[in-house]
Amino acid sequence: MTQAVSRALLSLASRSLGSDRRTWAMAMEAEFEEAVEDGKPMMFAIGCLFAAWREIGKHNEGRLILANYALALGLLIPMAALQFQQAVGFLSSAESPFGMQGAGAGPNLYVIWSQNSAIPILLITWLLLGMAHLCLAWMLVEGDWPRIVKCGTLIGAAMITLSLFMSVLMLDLSPLRAQVAELAIELAAVVSISRWHMRVFADASREMLAR
Amino acid sequence: MGRNRRPSKQMLLLLEALSAHTQQWRHGYDLMKETGLLSGTLYPLLIRMTDQGLVEAEWREPEHPGRPARHAYRLTNAGVAFARAAIPAGPITFAKASFA
Repeated sequence: MTQAVSRALLSLASRSLGSDRRTWAMAMEAEFEEAVEDGKPMMFAIGCLFAAWREIGKHNEGRLILANYALALGLLIPMAALQFQQAVGFLSSAESPFGMQGAGAGPNLYVIWSQNSAIPILLITWLLLGMAHLCLAWMLVEGDWPRIVKCGTLIGAAMITLSLFMSVLMLDLSPLRAQVAELAIELAAVVSISRWHMRVFADASREMLAR
Repeated sequence: MGRNRRPSKQMLLLLEALSAHTQQWRHGYDLMKETGLLSGTLYPLLIRMTDQGLVEAEWREPEHPGRPARHAYRLTNAGVAFARAAIPAGPITFAKASFA
């Protein structure tokens, strides 16, 4: 167990060092066997992680990793929480016997029936948006760009679906306005990070070719 | 530049260990055991000293079959000169193993 946790910590240290310091990550991994033999794998791995984190701000890739974590923790996870909160808020407002708020002048049985029929799909879409944001945060930290694109597409599609349903059923898109603005900020941040990512890896490839 | 600053106690310990046999390649874990430095201190030092041209590193074949190749270190000529100038005449008597 200790050895498995130590290996995981060492792997995290290696990833934190980035391609600039790949040789050093490999050097630490090679010494790990000695630490295991010496009975101190955990102490060695924690030290390596500490060393990697000391180095992280000193190179481009490290700064990119920090930016990924900041975006994931500072924007994407709060956005996911907001989606879940919206879903809960929507559910409580939809429980009203007079249908959803903003549906028109007075209670209309057909409108109420249509709205109630749409509740599950709207709820699922909101929960899906929340889950997609959590996945996006995870993939960003992992640096898995093909999946980030897929996840971004899913978020876009879910948002369009939600807007269409809300406009048809509630005839009022004001609850979505703030959310659209936040999604635009989120999109801009992810695009900036992707450009930074491309620049860093293009530089790294050039350096490797030059060697 | 860091090279113009006074070396830290940890760096002096490492310089002392590496300058004992300047031609001998030393492995990271052996240096940890000899100096009492932990990996969180040793590797940043080795990285910095390699960047500054004081230490050279190369991959060495493993002593035991089935093990990965190990990174080994020794002082460069500049490192030897720096160590001679930096290390005091007597042995360094810091409390080893107290550096995290």
